[in-house]
Amino acid sequence: MSFFSIKTDRSKYPQGGEDGKLQIDLDSHKYVKIWQGPNHPGVTGNMSVELTLAGDEVVEAKTHVGYLHRGFEKLLERRLFIQGMQTSIRMCVAEPDSNEYVFCSCVEELAGIEIPEMAKWIRALILEMARLQSLLRAVPGQGGTFGLGVGVQWGIYMRELVLDRFEELTGGRIYHMFMTPGGVRGPLPTGFKKRMEETLKEIDGFIVNIDNLMFNNAVFKKRAVDVGVIDPSWVDKYGIVGPTARSLGFNRDVRKNYPYLIYDQLDFEPYTTTYSDIYNRTRVRWHDLITTVDLIRQILAKMPEKGDFKAETPNVLHWRIPKGETYVRSESSRGEYGMYMVTDGSEKPRRVNLRGPSYNNGIAVLEDLLVGANIADVGAIMVSLQVCPPEIER
Amino acid sequence: MDFDIKRLGFTLLGLLIVLNWGLLMNAFMRKIGARVARRIGIPWHQPWIDLFKNYSIRSQITHGLMFYLGPIFRLSGGVGIFLFMPMIITGDHWLNYSFQGDLVLIMYFQFFGMLGMALGAGEGGHPYSAIGISRGLSQFTTIEVPLTLAIISLAIQYDTLSLADIVRAQQGGFMHWSMWTNPFATAAGMLAALGTLGHSPFNLVMAPNEIPIGPPTEYHSTFLGVLQSNGAILHVVEAALFMNLFFGGATNWIEFIVKTFLIYFWSVFVGMVFPRFRIEQSVTWFLKVPLVLGVIAVVMFM
Repeated sequence: MSFFSIKTDRSKYPQGGEDGKLQIDLDSHKYVKIWQGPNHPGVTGNMSVELTLAGDEVVEAKTHVGYLHRGFEKLLERRLFIQGMQTSIRMCVAEPDSNEYVFCSCVEELAGIEIPEMAKWIRALILEMARLQSLLRAVPGQGGTFGLGVGVQWGIYMRELVLDRFEELTGGRIYHMFMTPGGVRGPLPTGFKKRMEETLKEIDGFIVNIDNLMFNNAVFKKRAVDVGVIDPSWVDKYGIVGPTARSLGFNRDVRKNYPYLIYDQLDFEPYTTTYSDIYNRTRVRWHDLITTVDLIRQILAKMPEKGDFKAETPNVLHWRIPKGETYVRSESSRGEYGMYMVTDGSEKPRRVNLRGPSYNNGIAVLEDLLVGANIADVGAIMVSLQVCPPEIER
Repeated sequence: MDFDIKRLGFTLLGLLIVLNWGLLMNAFMRKIGARVARRIGIPWHQPWIDLFKNYSIRSQITHGLMFYLGPIFRLSGGVGIFLFMPMIITGDHWLNYSFQGDLVLIMYFQFFGMLGMALGAGEGGHPYSAIGISRGLSQFTTIEVPLTLAIISLAIQYDTLSLADIVRAQQGGFMHWSMWTNPFATAAGMLAALGTLGHSPFNLVMAPNEIPIGPPTEYHSTFLGVLQSNGAILHVVEAALFMNLFFGGATNWIEFIVKTFLIYFWSVFVGMVFPRFRIEQSVTWFLKVPLVLGVIAVVMFM
């Protein structure tokens, strides 16, 4: 035991009752109840965490959503398939292209449309660019939760460069809607590959700088190592996917396990660790950054120079899709992102349901993960799970 | 006791200079921080705009008398340090009310502002304020230990507790500064300075991502204006304290401005590349590295 370590008298902390629940008597003045969110810099969006504290330690945590419910799934039942594009992408602001892809793929699968080869490559390029811009916020954002704001600003600058490429390719910076049922809206602009390579070179430098700034930083290690540790048994219990699952040694990546588009033609291996604390979860995402940059380079090198980018589709204003149901999945920067769609032969979907990683990875896990954590680490733990509340409120 | 109107006039003028230099220095630091982060940053006059805006807003919220007095106590702490701090050592215009034993009073005023703020913020009733206060007082208590040891070492070395005398003892050349004659005290003091100047990794009192923004959570409008004024004064006088103790003081305002800027920049520079400690990590750190250096500094001159 270190000379400076302080022994805590655990008898003063709440004990479990007969029903197994903690006995917390707020009138005893031993505990403080505070809310983090829905407006709190340490919370990743429109949600809140209700914390009961004993001193600096969290003894109970409850997550609350409902601040941003827009009923997107229900709205989709009232819209034509082509109109559904504008609605579906807004389910996750941080990475809307995964929504685009799963929605288009559901429609194509149910309508029996095979998209052209060129469209598959461009879609993969867009998905990787979306992953890149999301990770450029998420990785340095972890340092930001500990007060290391410089990396966050560097990341935002790099993300803007990627958004410039998005604007050049699609016309939009955040919401692109470049994918459309049947393919994509156009080919790559002239000189796009060269300009993308220039952007990737800038990001290569950023990746090295972030390694030095965060992962070789003594104070960052002190804050992130052995904090917010997830037990491997929670992976199946909560349905944890993506980088969070990979930080526990579970190599779960839809691109590898269930290849879609052209991912089976690309050479990559998702990074895994076997101990999931904040440091390793961030480290996995940092390696994802390297992988994503490499994948974009591979896509640009291997994609065909020309070809059709859109399959023939019926008049989208009178498009009736035969009765059926399907589930399409993709790998977002946070993990498996899937859409279940049911059609009844009409011009609109009968039912649409989205399976996002945030609820499983974040909201459910967070309640257990925060118990015993220090109040100072609450925001950091939440960010390390990469929760996107808008994706839950659909 | 004679009432010296001339001394009062120079002191008030000095306070005005220190306040404005503090605001400008704050703008410079934010600008430098922005450039490091690849941003353009604020215009240099932004702190004055913030200050005028906050002073022009009136509050309709009350949390009781102590809530009103909190910022006043905090400002008293900053102004109190200024009053007993010699600014320019040549002549006697800018010595303020420095006297034999002023170092003890300055150390007291460092804590006084925080205690007053603690009472006022506590009255606000916000849990983030209470958490920030408990963090602030815990951390500052441990910062004071190595800082006091460094000061004791200098007091033994120069055989005085007068800050003006300590500065005078360092005159005569660059190599006469305490940083060369008493390096261990300087190291302990400058590490303690990282804590007193309140930047990362020791900014856990306000910690925006954890307890936004700690003690001043409930403070707004004019209250916030008072706290901003105090912040500007405090940053300069704290830097001036370390300048006087370790870096030969200042013989003119140019020297004063350059030295205080560099000392304050030291904390900003460190804060730029380090995240913040948790409170127990911060306390442990101050009780390890700076404390040991402080003890060595005292032992060397016993």
